[in-house]
Amino acid sequence: MNTQELKQGFKDSFPIILGYLPLGFTFGVLARDAGLSLLQAVAMSVLCFTGAGQFIAAGMFKAGGSLIAIILTNLLVNLRYALFAASTVPYLRERIPPALAAALSYGLTDEVYAVSMNRYRRHPAATPYLAALVACSHLGWIGSTLAGALLGSFISSTDRLGLNFALPAMYISLLIILLRRRSHIYAALAAACTALLVGQLFPSTMANKFNIIAATLVGATLGVIWDERR
Amino acid sequence: MNAADAWLMIFGVALVSLAPRILPVAIFSRRKMPPWLEKWLSYVAPAVLGALAAVSILAPNGSLELSRENLYLWAALPTFAAGLITRSIFLTLLVGIAVMAALFHLLG
Repeated sequence: MNTQELKQGFKDSFPIILGYLPLGFTFGVLARDAGLSLLQAVAMSVLCFTGAGQFIAAGMFKAGGSLIAIILTNLLVNLRYALFAASTVPYLRERIPPALAAALSYGLTDEVYAVSMNRYRRHPAATPYLAALVACSHLGWIGSTLAGALLGSFISSTDRLGLNFALPAMYISLLIILLRRRSHIYAALAAACTALLVGQLFPSTMANKFNIIAATLVGATLGVIWDERR
Repeated sequence: MNAADAWLMIFGVALVSLAPRILPVAIFSRRKMPPWLEKWLSYVAPAVLGALAAVSILAPNGSLELSRENLYLWAALPTFAAGLITRSIFLTLLVGIAVMAALFHLLG
């Protein structure tokens, strides 16, 4: 086992955990408010590990939504992960055994995906790195959910600590690092405009993340077209 | 809904959350991907991050907020600068959080 890779995985999970603290905490509060028990709130973060999906599920659960509707909505919200997962495969192939690669991909959230892709640009993928990154990020998500579910009623707001900007700040820094060619910049800009436009025209897509899927399809396609035309 | 329904919901959501991440890796690890698909997928990361960054800054509460009152917009400017200069996720994150906390106390 390569301890250097393991350590780097731990280190790289730190910004992700910082971003998850306010989100997981808020989910813990919301889940209790929606009528889930402490165990159920934490179990949901253990078993699902999907930020937006869990918020939507708790909200629909509270509103008395049907089981089928909640699960189908979550399926749609999580479809973007299929794109992410597929795009990691060229990096994982021949570096991480297929069964292990598939198993570790359970933890491929938006943030884990972006951080690991950034790593693969310069370093080959390695099992200890991905395992540490996924495990630590997941533990951060579970721990902050537990804290929110336990302490929710005592703490008014994490906004005053600036933690509400942790995820946007991480998206900004990852975006800057991932843009390596002109065609990447065009892909990102096209996706940014598409996400905002679709979200504004169809407000429900802001919550269910369909605007992100549409933006990914448009942005990646235009990026390839731009690249081919040069 | 009762406790049993809550558990069913949790297991159902778990299934549809994890399957989309595990299955594509399981499927494509074992067979060759066509080169055009591989190329297209290499643009997924920049596109996703562009979309996520734009939405989280310009529509932090679910709809477009292009106003001076949008603190996320103001906090994004020094954060962008920090990202370009330091190229470090951690330092960029610290700058962003510190600026947002300061803005919250000054203006919020």
